[in-house]
Amino acid sequence: MPLNLNLLHEEIQEQRQRQRDPLKIGVMALLLLGGIFFAYYMWNVYRTLEIKTRLSAVEHEWAKVEPLVTSAQKRSAELNDIIKTTRVLGDYIENRFFWAPFLQKVSRCVAPNTQLTTIQGSVLDDNKGVSVSIEGAAAGREPRAAAEDLRQMLVEQLSQSYRDVKVEFKGLEDLDTIASVGGTSMAMAHFALSVNFNPGANSKPAASPAPNGAAPRR
Amino acid sequence: MNTSTFQKEQIKKISVSAMGFVFLLYVYFTFFLGPLNRSRDGMLTKMKDIQAKIDSSKGEMNKASALEHQAKAATTRFTALKALNSEGAPIAWFPSRIKVFFASNQIDKAVARLENSNPLKEPELSGWAKYNWNIDIPQADYATLGKALADLENAEPLLSITKVAIHAQPDQGQFQAIDLVVTNFIQKK
Repeated sequence: MPLNLNLLHEEIQEQRQRQRDPLKIGVMALLLLGGIFFAYYMWNVYRTLEIKTRLSAVEHEWAKVEPLVTSAQKRSAELNDIIKTTRVLGDYIENRFFWAPFLQKVSRCVAPNTQLTTIQGSVLDDNKGVSVSIEGAAAGREPRAAAEDLRQMLVEQLSQSYRDVKVEFKGLEDLDTIASVGGTSMAMAHFALSVNFNPGANSKPAASPAPNGAAPRR
Repeated sequence: MNTSTFQKEQIKKISVSAMGFVFLLYVYFTFFLGPLNRSRDGMLTKMKDIQAKIDSSKGEMNKASALEHQAKAATTRFTALKALNSEGAPIAWFPSRIKVFFASNQIDKAVARLENSNPLKEPELSGWAKYNWNIDIPQADYATLGKALADLENAEPLLSITKVAIHAQPDQGQFQAIDLVVTNFIQKK
């Protein structure tokens, strides 16, 4: 049986030790890890650059769209303002009180034996109603009854178009003056009427009033 | 003894390697990967925002074009209402317009005077002002006045008569003296 003698035992052990040197292994591991990290980093750089390219494209698109959007938004705001303003102006126009139809109705109530000397009317704030005061003189065998007829006619006529019509005497006095109506001498009375009403939904701009002011009564 | 020295040396080397590893990780994440990721996340967020803006802008533009279509009637009416008022200060054109208007209705000597002007309360009408005018008509027949007022109310939608005073003239029974207070909405220039 042959005898094996290892004469290089120490040298081989040293070589093995050098190979197992932790620092060397650590450096190699670090280099390997560094390599992997570098590769991963480069992969991320590539992805980032790709995203940057996409971002540039999106920014470019936005730069083209933005002025259009801004002008569209501005136009929308302008149109909304116009719509709102037109609506408010429309409400104002629709809610106006029209005096011409009112004067026409008053003229229909005045009989030949009645004369109006003053009409003073005003629209209350925020269109809450209309207040009118009417003064005049009525002639007849019973002039107070003629004035009452006028009051009733006003109630009847105005109620056709307006709501909450109130016609009240503020004053009614007999006058000493005698008037001649159709060749007959008649007593006179001075009256003052207060007329209040709310313009109803039927109150619309009417055609021009009838040319003849005072329509005859039955 | 030789073995103990050998182990100490090895531990030292392992420690140096571990420190190198930690340093590598720190440098890599702090100075390389971290900033890169942050920058990428920032870009992604920005892109998302811009994309959302682009998407919403398309809707916005469609909405604006639909609104343009819907608001056609309002725009036409608004233009017509604006056109009712002349250029320049109202005091320069309104009295003469009223005078001409009543003259064309057989009522002479109508005089309009500015009483006051106020801004309107409604926020929608911030660009408009309310002008109150006094109109004196020294002499007019009742029926002619009625016709003229009807025409005025129909022709001037932004004008409303707030007060009317009609007084019979003692010497001429068929005529009346008239005072009107009218309010007109006029766009501020």
